[in-house]
Amino acid sequence: MDQIITAIGAIVLVPLVLLGYILLGERVIERLPERIQEWFRPYFWALPAIGFATIFMVYPLLRTVVISFRNNADTTWVGFDNYVYFFTFPSTLTSLRNSLLWLVFYTFFAVGLGLIIAIMVDRVRYESLAKIAIFLPVPISAVAASIIWKFMFDYQAPGTTQTGTLNALLGVVGHEPVAWLVNSTTNNAALIFVGIWSATGFAMVIISASLKAISSEVLEAARIDGANEFRIVQLIVTPLLWPTITVIGTTMIINALKTFDIVYVLTAGAYDTDVIATQMFSQLAHAHFSRAAAVGVVLFAAIVPLLVVNIRRFQQQEEQR
Amino acid sequence: MSEVFSRLSSRAIALSLGALLLVAACGGGSSNNSSSGNATSVTQWVAWGGAELQAYRDVLKPFTASTGITVHITTNRDSTNQIANGIISGTDLPDLAPSTTDPIQLKDWVTKGALKPLESFLDMSAYTSGTYPALTTAPGGAADDPYIGIIGGKHYMLMIKTQVKGLIWYNKKVFTGTAPTTFDQLLAINPSQYGAQKLFCAGFESGTASGWPASDQIDNIIMRQNDAAFYTSWIQGKVKFTDPQIKLGYQTFLKEVSAANVYGGSNTALTTNFGKAGDPMFKTPAGCLFLEQATFISAFFTQDFPGTKAGTDFDFFGHPSMGSAANDGNLNGFYDNVAMYNDTPAARKLMQYLATAPAQQIWANDGGTLGAIKTLTYTDPVFKRAAEVANTAKNLLVTAGDFMPSDMQAAFWKSLLDVTKDPSSLNAVLAHLDQVQAAAYKAS
Repeated sequence: MDQIITAIGAIVLVPLVLLGYILLGERVIERLPERIQEWFRPYFWALPAIGFATIFMVYPLLRTVVISFRNNADTTWVGFDNYVYFFTFPSTLTSLRNSLLWLVFYTFFAVGLGLIIAIMVDRVRYESLAKIAIFLPVPISAVAASIIWKFMFDYQAPGTTQTGTLNALLGVVGHEPVAWLVNSTTNNAALIFVGIWSATGFAMVIISASLKAISSEVLEAARIDGANEFRIVQLIVTPLLWPTITVIGTTMIINALKTFDIVYVLTAGAYDTDVIATQMFSQLAHAHFSRAAAVGVVLFAAIVPLLVVNIRRFQQQEEQR
Repeated sequence: MSEVFSRLSSRAIALSLGALLLVAACGGGSSNNSSSGNATSVTQWVAWGGAELQAYRDVLKPFTASTGITVHITTNRDSTNQIANGIISGTDLPDLAPSTTDPIQLKDWVTKGALKPLESFLDMSAYTSGTYPALTTAPGGAADDPYIGIIGGKHYMLMIKTQVKGLIWYNKKVFTGTAPTTFDQLLAINPSQYGAQKLFCAGFESGTASGWPASDQIDNIIMRQNDAAFYTSWIQGKVKFTDPQIKLGYQTFLKEVSAANVYGGSNTALTTNFGKAGDPMFKTPAGCLFLEQATFISAFFTQDFPGTKAGTDFDFFGHPSMGSAANDGNLNGFYDNVAMYNDTPAARKLMQYLATAPAQQIWANDGGTLGAIKTLTYTDPVFKRAAEVANTAKNLLVTAGDFMPSDMQAAFWKSLLDVTKDPSSLNAVLAHLDQVQAAAYKAS
C-alpha cells in the first residue's frame, strides 16, 4: 500500500509541484520590467532541469573525479595512486587490452557487416523479411542474448552428447568439442561475436535508412554514365553514407567501451576476459571505491571525445537538412 | 472582478501546491522510520531462497503462532555490502540479518555499535554448551575470534545451521571397496577396477563465483598438510601464496584435477556447474568414482536422479588423512548465522527462539542441512553421520576464501581456475596472488 501511495505521489505530485513553481514564478516575473522579464524567463523555466542535471549528473561526475584521487576511506589525497594501480596491475591491464579488442573488432564488424547487409538487402526482393531476420537480436536484452549464447557455447565432456549447438556441429564433422569460453584463443572472440550478433541489426537499420535517402536520380545518372555496381557503391553510396557511418561507428565504439552485460553473464571476467566496465564493477564489489572511481574516470575520458564527434556530426546533419 | 478572482484562484493553487509539497516531504520522512522499534514485527534479511527459504518459513510458523510477531523476510544475497553502506550513511538497517564475515569489517561494526551482542538477551551458558563447540568457542579461549563472530569476548553471531565440507561422495553401486584412510591410498585406487572412467569428478563453474568448489578442495588439503595455526595465518594474509607449503597445496590439488584423474579433463571441470558435477557418478558406465563436496550436495543428487536415496544409493567418507595424525582433526565447515542490528523486543524474542532445539529441529526435519545444536536428531542417514563428524572434529576451520578480503577471495578462486586450465602457469599464478595479497590486506 505504501508503495502505491509513493508511486501516485511521484506521478501526480512532481508535475504539480513543477506547475506550482511556474505559476508562482510567473506571478513574480509579471511584475518585473518588460526587458528583464524577457531575459530572465528562459533561465527561470530551465532552472529545474539545470538543477536536476547538476544534482544527479554534474555533482556525481565531479565527486567521482575527486574520489579517484583520494584513499578508499576518503580521508587523504593519494595523488595518482589509483590511476597507477589501474595502468600497472596485470589483471587491470588485461581488461584494458580486452576493451581495445572489443573496440576494434566489435566496431569494425558491427558497422562493416551492417553496411554490407544494408547495401545488399537494398537490392533484393525480400528486403523487409531479410532486415527483420538481421534486426531480430537487437531488441533482445543483452542478458537474455548472453544466456542464449551460453547454451550455444555449452561444453560437455568429450565423448558424451554435446548439448551446446556449436560443439554438436563440431561433433558432426568428427571434431573434438571446444571449450569456447575457457580456451584463451576463442573466449574473447566468442564474447565479441555475441556483441556483434546483437548490434549488427541496429547498424544495418540506421545505414539502410540513410541509404534510402540517397536520390535514385544520382544512381541512375551514374549507371547511364556506365559505372558498374561496385563503382557506384565505392564512389557514390559510401561517400554519401559517410556521416551516418561515423555516427554509427562512434556509437558502436562507445558501446564497445561500455560493454558489461555480455562478459558478466558469459564468463564473469574469468580466463582473462575482463573488460574495463567489469573491472570497475569488481573494484566496487570489493569495496575499492576510489579505484573504481579511477576506472570510471578513465572510461569517461575515453568516451567524451567520441561523444563530441558524435554530437558535432548530428549537428552537421541537422544543418544539411 | 473576474480578473481579481482569477488572480486569487491562481494564488490559491500555488499556495495549496506548496502546502502539498510540504506534506509530501514530511510524510515521506516519517513513513521510513515506522518499521523499526515495532513490537509486533521483525524485518529480516536472509541469504536463502527456494527450499532453504521454505524451510525457514516452516521454522517461523510456530513462532508467529505463539507470539503473534510477524517476520518480514527479504532474500538479499548482497546484504553485507548494503548493510555496510547503511552503517556509513546512517540509513535504516534490517532488525536481523547475517553478520559480515570479514574480520576487519566485523570489528568496525562492533565498534560502531551496529551489531548487538548475544550476551544482552541470550542465556549464553545454555547456548555455548548446546551448540557445536567449534562454532561458539574460540580456540584456547581467546577473546577475539572474528571467524566465528567473537569480539572482545562477546558473541555477535547466533549460529543456526552448519554444513561439513571436504566429504568424498560416491555411488554405492559403483564403488564397493573400503574407504581409503590416506590421500595416497585414495589416489592409488584404480577406477577401471570398479568400471568407472576416472577417479574424480569436478565442477568449478558457479557463475560469478566460479572457482569456489575448487577452493574448498584446496582448503581441505592445506588444512590437513599443515596445522590449524598455519591455515589461519594464511587466511589472515600472514603466509604468502608462494610459501612452499601453499605451493605444495596447489600441487596436491592439481593431482585431483589432472587429465589422468578428472572426468572429461580440465575443460569439463571448468565448464561444469558444481551442482551437476556428480552426475557422471550415476551414469552407466560411471564417469568417475568420487566427488568431493559438502553435505548440501546430497540434495542435488536426489534432485537430478529421482529415486536415489542417501545412505542406500550414495554415501560419503571423510576427507582422507594427508599424513599427519595431529591435523586430521581439522574439519572444514561453514555456518549460517543471524546477527542483530536493531535491538527491539520482537527481534530479541525471535533470536531467543532460533537458538532453541525445537526451532532448529524443524530445519533438521526438512533436511538438507545440519543445525548448530549438537542434540538434534536426523532421519537422513547422511546428515546423521555428518553430525557425528561435526561433533568429533577437533577444530572446525572456516573456508579460507570466505574470510579473506573480497578481492583476495576473487583472485584466489580465479587462480584455481587458471592452474586447472594450465598447470604450467602455477608459479606465475602464485606470484600474482602475492601481489594481490600485498594490496588486499593493506588497511585502506
